Parts: sequence; structure tokens; C-alpha cells
Amino acid sequence: MQPSGCSAIHGDGRNSGVALDRKTVMSVQTLYRLLAMFAVVGFVALILSRAGLTSEWTIRSGQGENRPVKLRVWDWWSPSGNEEYGFYFDGLKTVFERQNPDVEIVFQIVPFGNYVQKLSTAMVGKSPPDVFQSSVYWAEGFYQRGMLRPLNDLLARDPVHEDGSRISEADFLPSAWRHNHTQDGVVYGIPQIIDASCLIWNLDILHKEAAHDQEIRDLFISDSTGVVDYARIRYDAIRDWEHFRRIAKKLTRYDADGRIVQAGFMIHAYGGGAGMFPPWLSANGGQFQDAAGTLVRFDTPAGVEAMEFMAGLYWKDRVCLPFRRQLVDAEQFQEGNVACIAAGTWSGKDIMRNTLGWQHFGKTAFPPGPQGKGYRTVTWGNMLVIARNTPHQEASWRYIKFVCSLEGNLLRLKYLRYPGPRVDFYQTPGWQEALIERPYLSNIKNILLDGDKLRHTEIIAVDHQVNPVIETLLLRYPDIMEGNGPYPSVEAALKQAAYHANRVFDRYNIQVKQWTAREQFEE
Amino acid sequence: MGRSFYRRLTPYLYLAPAMTVIFGFSVVSMGISFYSSFHDYDAFAGASRFVGVDNYLRALFEPDSHFWLAMRNTLFYVVMSVAGVLLTALPLALLCQRIRKGQALFRTLYFLPSITPGVVVALVFFHLFGVWGQVLDNAATALPALAFLGVWSGAGYNMVIFLAGLTDIPRHLYDAAKVDGVDAWGQFRHVTLPMLRNTLVFVTVMTVIGAFQVFTSVYIITGGGPERSTEVITYTIFINAFAVAGQMGYASAMAWLLFAVIFVFVFIQMRIFRSRNVYEG
Repeated sequence: MQPSGCSAIHGDGRNSGVALDRKTVMSVQTLYRLLAMFAVVGFVALILSRAGLTSEWTIRSGQGENRPVKLRVWDWWSPSGNEEYGFYFDGLKTVFERQNPDVEIVFQIVPFGNYVQKLSTAMVGKSPPDVFQSSVYWAEGFYQRGMLRPLNDLLARDPVHEDGSRISEADFLPSAWRHNHTQDGVVYGIPQIIDASCLIWNLDILHKEAAHDQEIRDLFISDSTGVVDYARIRYDAIRDWEHFRRIAKKLTRYDADGRIVQAGFMIHAYGGGAGMFPPWLSANGGQFQDAAGTLVRFDTPAGVEAMEFMAGLYWKDRVCLPFRRQLVDAEQFQEGNVACIAAGTWSGKDIMRNTLGWQHFGKTAFPPGPQGKGYRTVTWGNMLVIARNTPHQEASWRYIKFVCSLEGNLLRLKYLRYPGPRVDFYQTPGWQEALIERPYLSNIKNILLDGDKLRHTEIIAVDHQVNPVIETLLLRYPDIMEGNGPYPSVEAALKQAAYHANRVFDRYNIQVKQWTAREQFEE
Repeated sequence: MGRSFYRRLTPYLYLAPAMTVIFGFSVVSMGISFYSSFHDYDAFAGASRFVGVDNYLRALFEPDSHFWLAMRNTLFYVVMSVAGVLLTALPLALLCQRIRKGQALFRTLYFLPSITPGVVVALVFFHLFGVWGQVLDNAATALPALAFLGVWSGAGYNMVIFLAGLTDIPRHLYDAAKVDGVDAWGQFRHVTLPMLRNTLVFVTVMTVIGAFQVFTSVYIITGGGPERSTEVITYTIFINAFAVAGQMGYASAMAWLLFAVIFVFVFIQMRIFRSRNVYEG
């Protein structure tokens, strides 16, 4: 049997040949179009098969179950940035759904930077998540706006279990249970993690320097026979600020032109610099704000001293890499360019991940300043909260109890190597194994216990007022000291920052009164 | 209803879908923003209280308002980027016009920055500026650096507009000028520039509007620093609207003040540059 095109050639001569050519061309074009269409459809199908139309769709299609309660959980821990979060959420979902056959968990990941905006949109659109992780940055404000369900009645009626699944204040470290309630005792969140600012030391650099320097060798833990454990730094390794300054100087190396090739410490002049101010302030006996969130407390001699110490490390002692936006503390640390940085206690797992397993680093709290009393830092405990209007209050509470139970804490340890906010967590074999497996965790509990409460009221708005001042102080410190700077003195700069921050607090407190009045009126 | 009625109705029906979208997503949201500017509005609570012109007065007169500082920075940015765009886009268009072969290639290459997402451009330039030293760490150089980025992004697009304008200039005007012995500079001054008047107005107005609304590069690269030297008005509006409790009304008031400033600028530009019908073909 011949193709129809061939019979056209034989039958119609030249004209048919033209018709054939056109037809052939048409068919090639059609083929290309079809291939292109298949490619597009295949590409779209590939994307959808991997990512799904929505996460809900993927989960539902994967499971094929139909559970009566679909619990929407928001978080900013994103598997797209770190696959370990994905494993953790999978583990959480598997165990919780096995224990609660009526509930289906639908995780929705919202980036930290957009969290407040997205939540705001969801609240106005009357479709907030049932339960979500709230940073201490926002939790107090969320509650004061009437967005969160108070949890006191749930805590009170909850029976006490011996298996560690109960939730009560006594189960948590004091440093964890203090961002989650008002001054008059209304609990609006349960801490699921505990974190603190800390100093992170590159033990490779310290080890190298320790070979010829007894003072640096003394920073490490040693046994009674004098054998030094170079994998662990002592919690009290640094005695005070002067000691820190001296050690940082010893760890700094310069090239022939006087440029720093290995920095003893690193200060970021921008957001990170401002973020570093509160723990140094705390170590000097100061506070950023009062407990009620109505007044700034950093414009004190302790604050001035902390600020001058930070600026002095950079400008006088020259132990820091140059101020440059593009230089990220963690990256410089991981590349071995810096001996010590200030960061969160959470960062250990990220350092290990980014350096493909390197864990020769250790953590300490901030040493006491001239006015300080002991090792201090600032701590925070991000929490799980329930949206006030969720129809799934019972399921939400069950979820929170599970995540914040000892079992939930151990799941986070297993997948994320996170220390837990619960007291009983630190007695578990799991934690003891983690300490052996990851020596950098060894000082964590002490650091967490020695922390003051991180500032908590309108943090982003206060940052907008205070950070530029701290930024200017760090960048223009020599000019300011010579009387040529934008501020006559460090003290004057902090006073101005405090004035603006207090204005934020004033406005916010008026706002809170309005919210409260409206809530009472609606009730 | 006769045939002529339907004929008159037809264009409106064609316009209706686009108008619906514009009305729904622009006009209504502008209306809400205008309403919010007279209220103490909180997006979370979804409720508001009428405060009259307090938000406007606060933006304009309160000592801790950043409105004027942000407007000053924005104006500097506008001047630098408008001058930069005009001084690069027009010469590029003139050069491109002279190319006999490969004009489309150059046009495409120069146009590429315009279709590259702003966030990507900002991130690339963030690291490029790092290679060039402490550009972003100095209050004197940070804003010019952002303006440079703006010029780089906008020059190609405006070059294409100028190129279209240049193509519309009749050749015989240049021929006549040559016959009269006018040199290249004279031709540019007395033929090209006057004939490009409307294009120039368009490019200037659009660049001014775009420059007043600069946000992405500030948000991604500097966050308003160092020393608030790059805190532009849209950034201030954004921070107040989305990062500070209950300040949506205040942010809306600033947004409307920005609208008023842009309106005045554009109005003045249109008056100054209004076409005087130099040539009618």
C-alpha cells in the first residue's frame, strides 16, 4: 500500500508534485507543532507531578485519604532551603496522623520575610491557618490584635500525663516560657524551640594558635591530668570584655600591607550589627526595653559602653573584617576567615550543612562587661499559636501538645539537631548522644539558661528607628569621637534612637488600647 | 435600538474587559488607599477609626517623620536616573540607528535588562558593587550606585523608544540641512532634537514616574542605609504599611502625598515640553 502522497505524484504530474511538496512541508510543520505541544504539555506535567497544583493537592493525591479535620499549619522553616525541614515535617506528619486518625495536616510554608504580610492578608480574607509558628518578633502583637486564642483554659483542663506529653509551665526552661504570655498571665503560645545569641568560635584557628600560646590553650576544656580536648571550648573560656579583646587581637592576622587576612571577630554594621547590640548590652548588665514594652532602656551608661566596645573592636583594635554589606558573618566564618562571630544557637546545623560536615567549632555566651554580672546573652522561644477563629481548636491543641511534647522535641533533635525548650529534654539519652556526636552543642544548655529576654515589642518598627543609628555609630565612630560626625557623641546618638523607639512604643500602646476597647465592645 | 446604537456600543464592549480589570485592581484599590489615608487603619484587625487629615499632618510636620528625608533622597535619585537615562539612551539610539548590520541584535542586547526581573538585577549588582569596593557602605556613594543600577536597567528600554522616534524623522530634513552646510552637531541640534520632542517628553515623564517609585533595588540591596542615605519614599511607605502596627493609614497618606508630587512634576513637564508642532509632515 502506497502513501497517498505517492499516488498523487504518479497521477497528476508536475502540479501534483507541487501539491505533494506543500503537503510534505505542511506535514513537517504539523509534526514540529505537535512535538512542541507535546514538549510544553510534558514540561507542565513534569512540574505538576513534582510540585503539585498546591501542597494540599499533592498531599491528598499521595495519600488518598479523607479525614474529617484538615488542619492548616503555617511555618517558615522551608524544605526548599534546607531539605532537613522536609524530613522533619514528614516525620511530624506521619507520627501525628497515626496518633490522630481524624486529622490531616496540611503544611503551608510561608517565607519569614513575608510572613506578617501573608498572615495579615489571610486574616483580612478570613482564611488564616489553624495553627502556626510565630516568631517572638510578632507573637505579642498578634495576641494584642486579638488574633490568637488564649490557651489558659486548655492548659488548665489538660490532664497530666507521665509520658511527657503534658504541657505546663513547669515543663519548660524559664528562658523559654517568657515570650509566650502577657504580664498578667494570659498564655497565647507554647514554645517549640529555644534559641539564644552566642559567640561561635572556630576551633581549628584556636587549636593552631594554642600550639604556641598558653592563654589560648586555656580556652579549651582539659581534664585533671592536663590533657586538652580541642573539640570543646570551655563555657567560661572568656573572662570579660578585656580578655575577649586580647584574644581577638591574638587571633587576628595582617598581610604586609596591613590588611586583615584572618579576623579575630566580625561585626556587621547593618542589621546584624544592631542585632549584636542587645547581647553585648545584656552582658554589660543592660536591657533593651522594659518588661511591659512601654519604655526603651538601652540609652544608659551600660548601653554606651557596649556600643563603644563594639566600635572599638573594629576601629581601635582592628580585629574585624572591613564593613562591607556583601560580607556575611556566617560565610566568612565557614570559610575560615574569622575566628569568632556572634550568631544564633540554631546556626550549628547550618554551618555543618554548608561546610559538608565540618563541626570543629564551639559556642559560648557573651562574657561580662565592666558593669555586667556573669555570662549573659538574649534568648527567645518561637512558639506555636492557635488562630482565634479557627473551627479546629481541639485538633490545633492536640497538634501543639504533640509538637511541644518531649516526643516532638526529640523529633526536632533527630531531624534538625535543635535543642529543646523542655526541661526533661536535657535528661534524655537522645540529647546525651547528640552531645557526643556534635560537641558544638555542649555549652548550649548553659547559654540558654543565662539569657535575658529578647526585646519583644514592635521589633521591626523599633529596628527601623534604632538600626540606622547603630549603623551610623559603627560606620562613623572615628568622626563622632573627633566631633565631626552626625552625632556629637555615642550617648547623644543612643538618646536619639531611644527617643524615636519610645515614640514607636507610645503609638503602639495607644493602638493596643484601641484594639482592646474594640474587642471588649465586640464581646 | 437601531444599528447605529450597536455600532456605537461595540468599542465599549471591546474595552469592557480591560476596563473591568483596571477598575477592579487599580481604581478600587486606589480608592481604598485614599479612604485608609483618613483612617487609623490596621490590616490585621481589618478595622479603622476616622482621624481626618492627621496622617497627612503627621507625615508633613512631625519631627520624627521620615517623609521629607525620604523625599529628598527620592528627588536626588530621580535627578540622577533621569539625567543618566537620557544621556545614555539617546546616544545609544543614535549609534544603533547608524548600524547597517546587526541592529536587531544590539537592540535586543540593550533591551535585555528591561525584561530581567528587578530582584535578579538587584542581587547581581549587589555583588558587583562589592567587587568595586565599599560603594554601598558610604552614605555619599550608595544612592548614586542605586541610580547607576536604575540607568543600566532603563537605558535599553528607552533606547528602543528613541530609536522609534528617530526612525520617524523624515530623511529629507537631514538632506536639506546638509545642502545648507549644517554639520553633524547642527543636524542633531536643529533637526533631531526638535523632531524628538514628543519622544523626549514621553521618555522623561515615564522615567520620572518610574524613578519616583524606585523600590526593589533599595529593598534588596541597601534597606535604606547606610545612615538612611538610600531611604526612598516607597521604602518608607512599605515599612510603615507592612512592618509597623496600625500604620496603614499613615502609609497611605504618604502614598497620596507621593502621588501629588509626581502629578505636579509631570504636569510641569507637560507644560514646559508641550509640542509646538515644529513639523507637520
